[in-house]
Amino acid sequence: MVQERSLEALALRCATVLSAADMTNDVAQAAAGDVSAFERVYHAHLPRVHSLVRRMAGGRDTDELTQDVFVRVWQKLGSFRGDAAFSTWLHRLAVNVIIERFRAERTRRQRLRDGDDIFETIAAPMRSRDLSMDFETALTTLPDGAREIFVLHDVEGYKHREIASLLDISAGTSKAQLHRARMMLRRQLRPGSA
Amino acid sequence: MTTDSFTDRLSDYLDDELSAPERAALDAHLAQCAGCRGTIEELRGVVLEATSLNDRAPSRDLWTGVAARIAPGSQLRGFVSPFRRAISSRLSFTLPQLAAAGLALMVLSGGLVWMARSGDPRADFPPISAQVADGSPANLADPRYDEAIGDLERSLEVVRTKLDPETVRVVEESLATIDRAIDDWRRALATDPANVYLIRHLAEARQRKLTLLRRATLLGS
Repeated sequence: MVQERSLEALALRCATVLSAADMTNDVAQAAAGDVSAFERVYHAHLPRVHSLVRRMAGGRDTDELTQDVFVRVWQKLGSFRGDAAFSTWLHRLAVNVIIERFRAERTRRQRLRDGDDIFETIAAPMRSRDLSMDFETALTTLPDGAREIFVLHDVEGYKHREIASLLDISAGTSKAQLHRARMMLRRQLRPGSA
Repeated sequence: MTTDSFTDRLSDYLDDELSAPERAALDAHLAQCAGCRGTIEELRGVVLEATSLNDRAPSRDLWTGVAARIAPGSQLRGFVSPFRRAISSRLSFTLPQLAAAGLALMVLSGGLVWMARSGDPRADFPPISAQVADGSPANLADPRYDEAIGDLERSLEVVRTKLDPETVRVVEESLATIDRAIDDWRRALATDPANVYLIRHLAEARQRKLTLLRRATLLGS
């Protein structure tokens, strides 16, 4: 029995290693212009990218932005040197595409100011909700600036100094927006919280 | 410090972003404030939920749209539009359509520069807005618009001999380009009538035509 488990674990490790090797090959082939290989890369990373986009954009234009990300990945594949894991490289690229989009819509500071206003106005009514809200749905109700920072920090694991650099804001603003986002989510997810 | 100021530091406390003295002060406050203890536990729950979210794929196929934009020879190869917010992934533009739109902008800009240089104080464009409702199929039939265009075209024909030949050439080129753009937007709208992006651009092209005709006619009158 123990031997069977060991064999299963070994098989699983082998499969993981082979899968990673396949992905490396696919990335290399895609970088050389192989669209079929790129499609495999796309499918392997789609759930991660789509979820990142959906959360950061608050559910707006998720599909279009996801496509933009993969088009940009295709364009930039040649610059991937393998210094970091491909998934890390792709993730950073995706974040940049999303932020570029936001920048094009309005300036960062204006977004955060709007966010402050929205936070104050919509946080209060939510307190009276008597149904708990799905976490992903609650995310979409956050002000844009606070949501982006919350997703980058709490979901994606970015540091405040990285967020500050990405969004062209101060680390203090990043911290303040993160706290507001958390407080707002807390109120929405746990109705009755003060 | 007040309770509110402590509350404002709870996230920093959770993230271990406080200095040792700040942390000690907050620890002391937490020891006697049940409200803040409850809040910090709820914030901890929020953070925990954020770290345990599952990724999920989209409900519809997106690869077709990506493939269309990266395929060798694709007319949209590498096209990452700042306007894609309103573009449906079902939509594709032909190279002539994109070229016409670009050309329209260039020619129209040239026309405006020329009018500005000629000293025409009316060379400034009014803000253009398209009255469209998201998700509603476009209904851009407007007999009054067609009538106004017809009147202006006839007026322009009357005064064209008074205009400088170079002026006439620029205006005609601009009008032809705008007309091609209008035709392209119309054709695209025929396949996607509710596309706000297309509706807006068609409305904008139509208004540009109206403005250009009006100004050209005024120059000759």
